[in-house]
Amino acid sequence: MRRKASFFVILVLLLSPFFGAVAFAQVQVRVRAMEASNVGSGFDSSLRDLHDQLGSLFSFSSYRLLKDETVSLSPNQSVSLSIPPERSLELTLINQHRVTAEVRVKITRGGRELLTTLVRLAPGRSVSIGGPKRGEGTIIIALSRMQ
Amino acid sequence: MWKGGGRMKSECSSVSKLLDKYFDQEVTPEERSLVEGHLPDCSACRMALDSMQNLRILIKNPVEEAVGKENFPWVWEKIEKGIQRKERLGLWDFLKSWLDVTPLLKRKILIPAVAAAVILILITAPLLYKKISSYPVQSVVEYVESETYNVMVYELETPQVTVIWLFEGLEEESSTS
Repeated sequence: MRRKASFFVILVLLLSPFFGAVAFAQVQVRVRAMEASNVGSGFDSSLRDLHDQLGSLFSFSSYRLLKDETVSLSPNQSVSLSIPPERSLELTLINQHRVTAEVRVKITRGGRELLTTLVRLAPGRSVSIGGPKRGEGTIIIALSRMQ
Repeated sequence: MWKGGGRMKSECSSVSKLLDKYFDQEVTPEERSLVEGHLPDCSACRMALDSMQNLRILIKNPVEEAVGKENFPWVWEKIEKGIQRKERLGLWDFLKSWLDVTPLLKRKILIPAVAAAVILILITAPLLYKKISSYPVQSVVEYVESETYNVMVYELETPQVTVIWLFEGLEEESSTS
């Protein structure tokens, strides 16, 4: 009985790093696509946490939310979502550490790769991808890791 | 005569077995009376007893002489020093002596403990190495590839902002028009 108990304790100790890895295997990433322009003024309430970041970089007068979606990323599994205008965004969790998650981001249009990048997402630090034009405005995609 | 000689012989062999005990005064009263009744009639047993006494004298005298000459305080001092030296064992010697108490205990504790430690190190070392070596001082953007856009990466520490800005190229412009 005593021998069995000690064997169990040793087994748990040996496997504990793997339990930890499994517990942190999924990463939640919030994807927000917005149209920034100088036509009119206004700041969408769902973008309030990005106000300082966007304001310190750009001089647009209006930020309008087009899409707000949170996706769960599992290691090496891709998640795709459509982003206006007619683009597709593919996110893949490549690696993760205690705080940061390495995510590969692919933007495609009609199956054609427009951009591939590998970013490290950490809570409290968002990564924005912007530039494509849409009418009078510019599309900005903000990626942030949820706590 | 023959009968008496045979009885004498068997008595002699049984008494000769008792001579050592008689000499050391470890016999019972019955055995004592048997030996003392036999000795006056048996010269061989008397001679054996005499030789025992002579041997004792031979050994006793030199031993008593040596003991008389020996310096016991000096011997005790040596013993005390030996004990103190044993008490000042190092940690490893202490562990070794503790594990040497019984080979069974040694096998039960030492071998599984070493095996568990080795496995634990083999499993955790790559994970720890990976975490420690790759976590600090890295940029947010590892790489950017685009055949369509000219790309600028902008990282700001306060506030913590990273922007990948895409400048539309000719190809993109032509495909959009």
